[in-house]
Amino acid sequence: MELKQLCELQGISGREELVRAAIYDECVRILGRENVTIDRVGNVIAHKQGRDADAPHVMVSAHMDEVGLMVISATDEGLLHVRPIGGIDPRVLVSKRVKVGYAVPEKDGKPAQEPLNGVIGAMAIHQQTAEDRKRVLPIDQLYVDIGAKDKDEALEKAPAGTPITFDTAFTPFGDGRILARALDDRIGCYNMLRLLTCDVRGDTDFVFTCQEEVGCRGAAGAAFRLMPDVGIALEGTTANDMGDTPAVHHVCNVGQGTTVSFMDNASIANPELFKDMLALAEREGIPHQVKMSVSGGNEGGTMQRTGAGVRTCVLSVPCRYIHSPSTVCAASDIEAQFRLAKAFLEK
Amino acid sequence: MDILNYLQGMAVQHGPSGHEAEVSGWLKARFEPLCDSVTVDPLYNVIALKKATAPTKDGSPAPRVMLAAHQDEIALMVADILPDGSLRMGQVGGVDPRILPASTVTVHATGGRDGTVKLLGVVGSTPPHLLNAADREHNYKREDLFVDLGMPVEKVRAQVRVGDLITLNGPATPLLNDRCAAKTMDDRACVACLLEAAERLQKMSHICDIYFVATSQEEVGSKGAAVAAHAIDPDLAVALDVTHATIPQSRPDTTVPLDAPAATYGPFVQHKLLERLKKAARDHGIKLNTEHAERFTYTDLDNIQIAREGVPCVLIDLPLKYMHTTVELLDMNVIRECGRLLAHFLGDLDEGWNEALWS
Repeated sequence: MELKQLCELQGISGREELVRAAIYDECVRILGRENVTIDRVGNVIAHKQGRDADAPHVMVSAHMDEVGLMVISATDEGLLHVRPIGGIDPRVLVSKRVKVGYAVPEKDGKPAQEPLNGVIGAMAIHQQTAEDRKRVLPIDQLYVDIGAKDKDEALEKAPAGTPITFDTAFTPFGDGRILARALDDRIGCYNMLRLLTCDVRGDTDFVFTCQEEVGCRGAAGAAFRLMPDVGIALEGTTANDMGDTPAVHHVCNVGQGTTVSFMDNASIANPELFKDMLALAEREGIPHQVKMSVSGGNEGGTMQRTGAGVRTCVLSVPCRYIHSPSTVCAASDIEAQFRLAKAFLEK
Repeated sequence: MDILNYLQGMAVQHGPSGHEAEVSGWLKARFEPLCDSVTVDPLYNVIALKKATAPTKDGSPAPRVMLAAHQDEIALMVADILPDGSLRMGQVGGVDPRILPASTVTVHATGGRDGTVKLLGVVGSTPPHLLNAADREHNYKREDLFVDLGMPVEKVRAQVRVGDLITLNGPATPLLNDRCAAKTMDDRACVACLLEAAERLQKMSHICDIYFVATSQEEVGSKGAAVAAHAIDPDLAVALDVTHATIPQSRPDTTVPLDAPAATYGPFVQHKLLERLKKAARDHGIKLNTEHAERFTYTDLDNIQIAREGVPCVLIDLPLKYMHTTVELLDMNVIRECGRLLAHFLGDLDEGWNEALWS
């Protein structure tokens, strides 16, 4: 399955149904129905038996969900009140296009559904006071405009709870760069689907998780169920390496390989695993970098604290402008993450 | 006229103030089937003439009417190329920096060997994970933002020059109730009103020579309208520009409803001509709101009114929400109604119109 297809599927946290269905079908196609499960919180777990029964049992995770918005009500004029699902800086929302609801293909006789177009406007610069220009518009003063005439029409077309995603086409550009929404973490899903066919040494469970962006709710249940010896999270992470930003604030650099984190806000990588991972990358000549600062948190932390404890390590793809409508990453870094994860699972 | 089709076309044309060659070429082709002659002047004004189709009863020369709506757009320019290949931005017209983070833009790179090349750029933003409380309280300033071309600095330097133009991306997005959002609705939606009127006038008779003008450089002081008015030497003129529709934060005294055209009153507008416009609206069942301008209208009217020995003018306002963003939103039916109003105003213009102005 191509990354473009995965990125085009809509799936905010808690509403991953379209991504889940596509990933489930793909896992079944590759591994057979008997090896693929959807668990009780909505994770897809694809099991692959290892060639060495004594090797550690590995859980690899990547999350299916993306950050987005959710309708909560509407104004009398027909503008939708929304709330962020996942961490979104409201400053990136002004003057952006969104899709309200999901594009659902025709299935079992039910007709296809099309999402509504929406835009997020703001008061014209001509009408702003000096104070307005400085003031950040909070989420409760940003509205999604679908063109509805009044509150009733707005909520009939987009009832409370309707998921909203950014409207950004998947666009390769520049020198091997990709612009898209939801790269965090369809990149990880994409690489995990490619890893399903690799020759794993130990028993391996590939877990496509839900609800990472609202606190890694999916990974917790899956890790508890599987009780792995080792946990590897495949993530998209924050790169802040533009312009004259001092190197100390970069976190990581786009185009310089997969990141290996020694620590983030959720976990400290197992030092042995961290060292092995770097040595493996060196030996295999895989572009890699150590994440330069402690930021973000992910499923590494969730897996680590499961049961009696799990040794974990996180491999990420640097993403600029993450959690915004326009996330940018390098195709070469996606490849590096895949190669390092593959080398680790096969060794 | 298929308004949505027009809007989808115009929203991918680039034409920053002073650099309207691309959009003027596109507009010229739209006017050609509807007019007797179309020219593009040295400032990229598109001037389309539709000659009178009926003689004046008293044999006097056909009055010349100028209709003006601007084609240029606010934009940015490359102010600096940084060592990592990212660009700092300067501005050409009033871009609100609040709309920029996480936007996509088109960089019109002139430094390569193949003429101007359009490059996709992304305006970056700091990831929320790295923002502290103080960062979150301030809007980004343009000078703090970068354009990311996704290329190493050598490749950027080989193609991009300081001064190259940067335009905003904002395709036409249809919404419910015949509404639509796009960049440069200000003021190419008003050019659509001119085209709609021209199409309607194919089947109507008019005693006036009509000059449809898609003006240039409005956003930097209506320079195109000034020279076009000099060249045309009109007897009267109608300017069309967008105005602010009501949104939750706006003051009610400075906005008009989204669902109908408006006409401006105030000293710069010839009040008898305005009455004639209102009468045309009444006679043909067109809803027309009003708004005020106590002095400057900040439209092409301001320069046309004082061109040569002076020109009596009226101003038609097309309401839209979120002006000077890439999601300028309007009701496409109002474009049709503006076109209909213009066509009837011109069709109803009879001999003696000018004697009534100052009596």
